[in-house]
Amino acid sequence: MKPLVLLAAILFIVSGVAAAAEPPRPPSGPKPLETSCVQCHAQMDGELLEPTKHTGDDIHFLKGLSCHDCHGGNPLAGTDGDPEAAHDVSKGWTGKPARRQIPGFCAKCHADAVYMKRFDPHARVDQLSEYRTSVHGKKNAEGDERAAVCVDCHGVHGIRAVGDPRSSVYPTNVANTCASCHAKPEVMGRYFIPTTQFAEYKRSVHANALYAKGDLSAPTCNDCHGSHGAVPPGVENVASVCGSCHSREATLFRETEAKSKLDLSACIQCMVCHSNHAVLAPTDAMLGVGPVSTCTGCHAEGEPEYDAAAKMSDGLTRLVRIEADARQLLDRAAKAGVEVGPDLFALQKASDQIVEARVLAHGFDLDRFLAATNEGVKAAETGIDSGHRAFAELRYRRVGLALSLIVLVVVIASLALKIRQVETPDTEPPG
Amino acid sequence: MSDRLPSRAARLRAWLEERVPVAPLLALAREKRVPLHRHTIWYYLGGMTLFLFGIQVATGILLLLYYRPSANEAFESVQFIMTKVPFGWLIRSIHSWSANLLVFVAFAHMFSVFFLKAYRRPREITWFSGVLLLGLMMAFGFSGYLLPWNTLAFFATQVGTEVAGALPVVGHFALRLLRGGDQVTGGTLTRFYGFHVAVLPAIATALVGLHLVLVQQHGMSVPPGVASSSKERGEPGRTMPFLPNFLLRDLIGWCAALGALAALAALFPWELGAKADPFAPAPAGIRPEWYFCWTFQTLKILPGHILGIEGEILGILAIGAGGLLWLLVPFIDRTPAGGNGGATSRLLTLAGWVVLAYMTVMTLWVYVVPGGP
Repeated sequence: MKPLVLLAAILFIVSGVAAAAEPPRPPSGPKPLETSCVQCHAQMDGELLEPTKHTGDDIHFLKGLSCHDCHGGNPLAGTDGDPEAAHDVSKGWTGKPARRQIPGFCAKCHADAVYMKRFDPHARVDQLSEYRTSVHGKKNAEGDERAAVCVDCHGVHGIRAVGDPRSSVYPTNVANTCASCHAKPEVMGRYFIPTTQFAEYKRSVHANALYAKGDLSAPTCNDCHGSHGAVPPGVENVASVCGSCHSREATLFRETEAKSKLDLSACIQCMVCHSNHAVLAPTDAMLGVGPVSTCTGCHAEGEPEYDAAAKMSDGLTRLVRIEADARQLLDRAAKAGVEVGPDLFALQKASDQIVEARVLAHGFDLDRFLAATNEGVKAAETGIDSGHRAFAELRYRRVGLALSLIVLVVVIASLALKIRQVETPDTEPPG
Repeated sequence: MSDRLPSRAARLRAWLEERVPVAPLLALAREKRVPLHRHTIWYYLGGMTLFLFGIQVATGILLLLYYRPSANEAFESVQFIMTKVPFGWLIRSIHSWSANLLVFVAFAHMFSVFFLKAYRRPREITWFSGVLLLGLMMAFGFSGYLLPWNTLAFFATQVGTEVAGALPVVGHFALRLLRGGDQVTGGTLTRFYGFHVAVLPAIATALVGLHLVLVQQHGMSVPPGVASSSKERGEPGRTMPFLPNFLLRDLIGWCAALGALAALAALFPWELGAKADPFAPAPAGIRPEWYFCWTFQTLKILPGHILGIEGEILGILAIGAGGLLWLLVPFIDRTPAGGNGGATSRLLTLAGWVVLAYMTVMTLWVYVVPGGP
């Protein structure tokens, strides 16, 4: 019998654990505002009143969930002031979870694919497992009460949908949310983590795209570090992180590695030239051997790489100058009234080659780079020829106009003479 | 040989005359006389309008040889005309500039007829056909504006057809009739092309024919002031022969107009702009052609609601009613031609000046204050 008892005991424990981890049933019973929870807490003060203030904007309330769906208890206990009836442990009352328990508390629902699909067929359910891989999650598992948990980023009550611009995790708010801890020396000091990232990020080309241009696809903290699985990217995977958006640059970088059979990851990575949080808008001056060149940081005069950088810079500078000249010429011709739409369209090839060359700079292949700039120069020179032709056409039109006007003046003068002739006193009929 | 040529030419003339008798028409033209007085200059506006209409027909036919009326090809075909076809830029620019000059001269012609009281009995039908012709010229302008399928044209057509759509009762039908659907699409372009090169020219040809026949039939109207002073003096008014005196002066005006068109086309070629993109946002400062600006500005400044009726609808109805009254002017001022008229005639003259001033101010408003009120 003993094995059977043991088996029964194991089954009992497993079923108990399973029951404890079981997510709540879909919303049922009283509506959020009709529960005894809201009705009683609405009459309280301070933090006990706080949750009832968010019944109109919290995503859970809006989806029909109520207090007891997270905290358990009896929502039908009435409003006679008996908290024991409402906080009925036999009905699953858990109260306020400890910080360490919060990830598991939220994951009761958010890690359950079947449950979450009832609300959103695309809902992700990997947040907890991701979180466990993060620095935050590991610290939490170690018992660090200060490590960030779900509510530190998403809020406690009054949690809004990620797509809501007022949400603390909406793209334009993410950096501020992260900075609420990561920009505070008193918080980060104990972990020996610098707190300059937020200030640096705000100066970056990424922040400019996100805030000034309103481009919601521009990267913010979680796009590089991950959301729930937040970790600082190591040196070995910076290129992968940047390459998730800048894919061509990353591919060229990898090609160079493969071709040279060198492991460049340890010495040159994106951030060596572009920095990490303070990624400034790149300029052509970063290429070459000038005062703001990033190449000269590693390559000294006399090295073949130094010469290659100089040649690349010369090629790109020449292409940019000729393309600008061609565009200016064609724009002037257009303002003067010559239709140069097809020529401007053809000049786009030169502009494309500028972009192409700027990308190819990440391949460190001089021949390939110069082939691209030469192709662009050829297109730009065609544009300049078209501009000169447009101005020749303009001169031709003006000469033609002058000749036509001379002919017309002669005709008008002849007609005037003819009128004088037919209207002499001898010929003019009486009125 | 040399003395046989004239006889051959004479024989050819006789052969032609037998089959196409033009001699009576020439005799009629030689007999035709034009009143000569201080307002004679206004008589040239009719001929000028006709000349510009001829320019439109000629240049329009040339453009037709290359133009392709579809959303995918219209812009490119006009670009081809302007860049590849020899003198294509000149033909297109003259067509566009001449269209604007035509509408301007037609307006000037109509107002001169109005202020000189040339609409009075028995010229009521001449007036009707003239006013309708001006409306047709504006319709030519509206339909032709879309044909290059550029951004400005696309959105101006969208706004213009929306005005038709705001008409009570028939608005939705009118909008769908004009657009060929609920939106401005390639279907609208094809439809406007049909209006521009077939429907409107057919109606215009008939109306121009009627207008010219009636002008020949009734002759030039003498303004009341000139007629009464001749009457007081007891002598007939001075005249000049149409052929060749008036026609020679007409020709001088037409040559000058041709020179002006050539200069405008060469120095300020009509821009093509960017190809229409129905998914792009409307560019700022969209406005219709200048001759629609006064209606555009009127509708723009009206409040949202007037006496419980939507302001735009009320504005459209008021402009429509004004146009109808303008058309019926000969029935409001029933004084016969040459008569001095009474209070009604003087009131009409005053109303004409008010209308002209209103149209001018509203048009200038659009150009001087682009952002609007």
